[in-house]
Amino acid sequence: MRQKFLTGISGILIALLIGAVIMASQGYDPFSTYLALFQYSLFSLYSFATTVKNSTPLILTGLSASIAFASGVVNLGQPGQLVMGALLATLAGLYIHLPPALEIPLLILAAMLGGVLWSGLAAFLRRAFNMSEFIVTLMLNMIADFFTTWVISFPLWDPKAFSPMTPQMDQAGWLPDIGDFSTVIFFMLLATAISWFIFNRWKAGYEWRMGGQNSLFARLGGCNVERNYVAVMLITGALAGLAGGLVVMGGPHRFIKGLGANYAWDGIMIAIVANNGLVATLLYGIFFSAIQTGALGMELITNVPSEISQVLQAVLVLVIVAGREYLNTLLDQIQTRRRARERTI
Amino acid sequence: MRVLTGLILGMISGATPILLAALGGAFTYYAGVFNIAMEGMMLMAAFFAVLGSFYLHSWLAGLFLAIVGSLLLALIFILFAVVLHTDEFITGIALNLFALGATIYMLRQIFKVKGAFNDPGIIAIPALHIPGLETIPWLGQILSGQNLVVYLALLATLISAYCVFRTRFGLRLRAAGYNPACLDTSGVPTARIRIQSLLVCGVLCGLAGAYLSLGYVRMFVENMSAGRGWISLAAVILVNGNPWGIAIISLVFGFFDGLGLFLQSYNIAPQFTAMVPYLATLVALYFYSMRQRKKVT
Amino acid sequence: MDDLIRFSHLVKVYPPNVLALDDVSASFRQGEIHAVVGENGAGKTTLMKVFYGLVPRSAGEIFYRDQPVNFHQPGEAIAQGIGMVHQEILLIPEYTVWQNIILGIEPMGWFGRLDEKKARKQVQAKINEFQFNLDPDARVGEISVSARQKVEIIKLLYRNVSVLILDEPTAVLTPQEIPQLFAELGRLRDNGHTILFISHRLDEVLELSDRITVMRRGKMVATVEASTTDKVELARMMVGRDVIFTSRRQQSQPGQVVFEANHLSYKDNEGRERLKDINLQVRAGEIVGVAGVEGNGQFELVNTLIGLTAPTLGRITVSGNDLTHAPILERRRFISFVPQDRGKMGASLVASILENSIMTHHRLDERFSIWKGLLLNDAFARQFTDRLESQFSVSMASKFNPFRSLSGGNQQKVILGRELLLSSPFILLDQPTRGLDVGSIEYVHQLVLQMRAEGRAVLIISADLEELFLIADRIVVLYRGQIVANMPVETTSVEQVGYYMLEGRGETV
Repeated sequence: MRQKFLTGISGILIALLIGAVIMASQGYDPFSTYLALFQYSLFSLYSFATTVKNSTPLILTGLSASIAFASGVVNLGQPGQLVMGALLATLAGLYIHLPPALEIPLLILAAMLGGVLWSGLAAFLRRAFNMSEFIVTLMLNMIADFFTTWVISFPLWDPKAFSPMTPQMDQAGWLPDIGDFSTVIFFMLLATAISWFIFNRWKAGYEWRMGGQNSLFARLGGCNVERNYVAVMLITGALAGLAGGLVVMGGPHRFIKGLGANYAWDGIMIAIVANNGLVATLLYGIFFSAIQTGALGMELITNVPSEISQVLQAVLVLVIVAGREYLNTLLDQIQTRRRARERTI
Repeated sequence: MRVLTGLILGMISGATPILLAALGGAFTYYAGVFNIAMEGMMLMAAFFAVLGSFYLHSWLAGLFLAIVGSLLLALIFILFAVVLHTDEFITGIALNLFALGATIYMLRQIFKVKGAFNDPGIIAIPALHIPGLETIPWLGQILSGQNLVVYLALLATLISAYCVFRTRFGLRLRAAGYNPACLDTSGVPTARIRIQSLLVCGVLCGLAGAYLSLGYVRMFVENMSAGRGWISLAAVILVNGNPWGIAIISLVFGFFDGLGLFLQSYNIAPQFTAMVPYLATLVALYFYSMRQRKKVT
Repeated sequence: MDDLIRFSHLVKVYPPNVLALDDVSASFRQGEIHAVVGENGAGKTTLMKVFYGLVPRSAGEIFYRDQPVNFHQPGEAIAQGIGMVHQEILLIPEYTVWQNIILGIEPMGWFGRLDEKKARKQVQAKINEFQFNLDPDARVGEISVSARQKVEIIKLLYRNVSVLILDEPTAVLTPQEIPQLFAELGRLRDNGHTILFISHRLDEVLELSDRITVMRRGKMVATVEASTTDKVELARMMVGRDVIFTSRRQQSQPGQVVFEANHLSYKDNEGRERLKDINLQVRAGEIVGVAGVEGNGQFELVNTLIGLTAPTLGRITVSGNDLTHAPILERRRFISFVPQDRGKMGASLVASILENSIMTHHRLDERFSIWKGLLLNDAFARQFTDRLESQFSVSMASKFNPFRSLSGGNQQKVILGRELLLSSPFILLDQPTRGLDVGSIEYVHQLVLQMRAEGRAVLIISADLEELFLIADRIVVLYRGQIVANMPVETTSVEQVGYYMLEGRGETV
């Protein structure tokens, strides 16, 4: 546990250092840039609330990827599942009108359903035809992207808008704010808690984890590996779909082009950095959100383009992950040398 | 007949970047490297190609710089995955995302635009007219007059096949994938072979990227590799790396890519036509998986 | 006679603090066959790996022909004329014999082209020179294990090594193939080559070697002339106490038939018959040992019994239940299974010891679930693991530590404990003592005999004939997928069983 913390912190510091070097080489002052970055993401209640709200899709897709990878399921389809979830939530919000107490749960379910259908498709292709979900989910991402773009450009297009998007959904489905904090956060935390509980305390979660660590062992132990695979695909699809739904419900209240499949790729990265740990995913999710949220404000003050946050992110991922391996090897080497010295005296 | 010609020309131009990237992927595949960074390498190359062509007023400079850009990414991959033993999958994904962010960032910083950069100052890679072949009726317009990179891709296929199956390097390359421990104890460091395969992949993806922004079209668009790296990965896996198989599969995908563009003129929404190559990949994967299944049961 | 190779105060530490080599000094002469013996974990393989450059040493020096050497990789050792053949044969099954042999020093033509003709000729010449019996064009994946071993040796001789290091060379051979190997090694020695070989099989070591070095727990014990020592003395030096070589098995009366396989057959996808009409019975209170050269159907037999593959014909019954096509969980109600490869099939190395212990129990024992069977009963799981720890004398720091923190012997104890606590009538053991030290092996044998005394039916598959003769009541031999012998252990001998294993029939006088 201590090692994980150490790797994380040192990785972040090294990556920030590398980022500073990149900024300096472009003629920007790293110190004031980072200051602005964190000022706009963490140092005020409003910015913190925004950061946490923006972290929702990152954390949910990150959880989706973490749970999948830790269970041995290669679900890389979060980008597609996210937009499908957003689409279904938007559809339900446009055509079904209920009081808010019912509308909101309905839209949440619709969002999860969207993700489930998309990941379920990949699971079906795997179970029925043995098609590698690695490639299938990747292809489905592209297909979902094109499909949803078509939907919002033609059948569901809002004629009053100048770029592809749907009309706004029924107000009953809009997720309100409580003070500075969006209620989106509530659903995200609830989903996180439920996921953690199932993954770590339920028999099903135990089997998923064992199956992910050694599927042959799980199979020989009597676990129904095939059924578990489908369950994991569906649940992780639901999480990604939920992310999409919350983005729409808590944000523009309509499906806009370029909604945020990028969130999902970031989520996958976060899962990798977190080494598939659920709590770590939550923490890294907030951290990465801080970088992204702060980047926009940073641009206002220091004129550093916000896209540098993406470069910083990638550097972070590589450094933390590489650092993790390297740190372990280093610690082992130190211990080895110490022991050897003891013997030769 | 003109339709057929159009489809074939579309097939060739669609196949070329996939073929080049897949050949690069084949080398790393044989060497036992789990390389999914072709997407990022192509994207970097596409950007650097435009950079070189625009500022140095020469398509050759663009081509050269494209390879440099792609190799840069390959070097980072080597640093993390081979030297530091970071997980190859993670390195690949991180590099793809890095390439995406970096090219968008550089697009803004250097060309001061967002979304795409299109300028008459960009010099495209020319087509190559082969005097003898041009005179052949009908075939002549297909065999001659293709973009230079298309001919390079053809050459690359031949050289790759020869290299992998007939040379000493090829024997060692495949050994690195089959049994790296054995290769090491035979006196050839597997790490060196893997590095070499990644460098080759870098060069080939560099050509692929240059074709995208200086041949296929003459501009740079954000994320212009558009998943072609994933398709080339699928191609490599489907044929187990065999260069001839890759050539055939690339033509198939290229055909569907061209078909997509073709269908647009029939009022089918552009999004559906854009889906076609990815659907085609799924179908190809279906046949592949069913065939694998028959072998096992 | 000068020492060709000298080790001086070698130390090797594996992180975090495992002392594999503890101040080892030894020397080897030119033109001798020198064996290094010791139990599993004594450090014999590590010693050679350090010498060969596969593993860096932590301290100490090595002298070759009186020059200090420090090989960083095998290539350097080979360049000096030293070659090592590992226990797991390290060849490329997809390549042919000649391709494997020339890999790394391939003859080249124009444009980096591989000169195939020249390569084949040179390889054939080497094969003829040493009178080995190999087909250069055969694919290595398709030839026998002993042939593969020969390819490894020729590969080194092709590089003109004068020192050959062999790691447990007889582990993969049948009793009948061993004399041939010994003859070849003897020829090499007479030719001036030096041979170092690692083994724990004392009879062979005494027969083949000129001198023997004994190691124990990372330390050098002694170097003796083979002609002046015997098995008992060697064993005592290896283990540190008198080892008993006689059987501890007591007579007993087996009861009803618990396990029965009828006409069990299996054809793989290429149509090859891997199992042919297997008829086998194991009674309560009986231990049946399955002997056979690896690759003669044991793998398929285990897979059909445990449920990984379905047989093409036949029936499997345990305690009257037809399990032929039953799902794995169903079978586990009646079958305990200890697999061959701990890490691959028997456990999750990264999961905690507790998580490994409760597998299968979590499904079959309702005390492990609460709240409608959805939640795991953590408290009970902890209790269960504690019980397992004490009952099976597992030495562990904490049950929450990862499984791989345990030593091999303790890992096997946890797996055995888990499986035996399932209280199933039939126990299937696949190479249960592979890779364990003498102490653990003894413990496992004790446990198995105890199961027999409790009236359970045990089927044990083992490549160690000595082990089978020690604990089994009956021995069955698998040859090319068929059972070619099925006899009570008192009526047969190691040599006879070896013959069956290799020839598929009894010896004709």
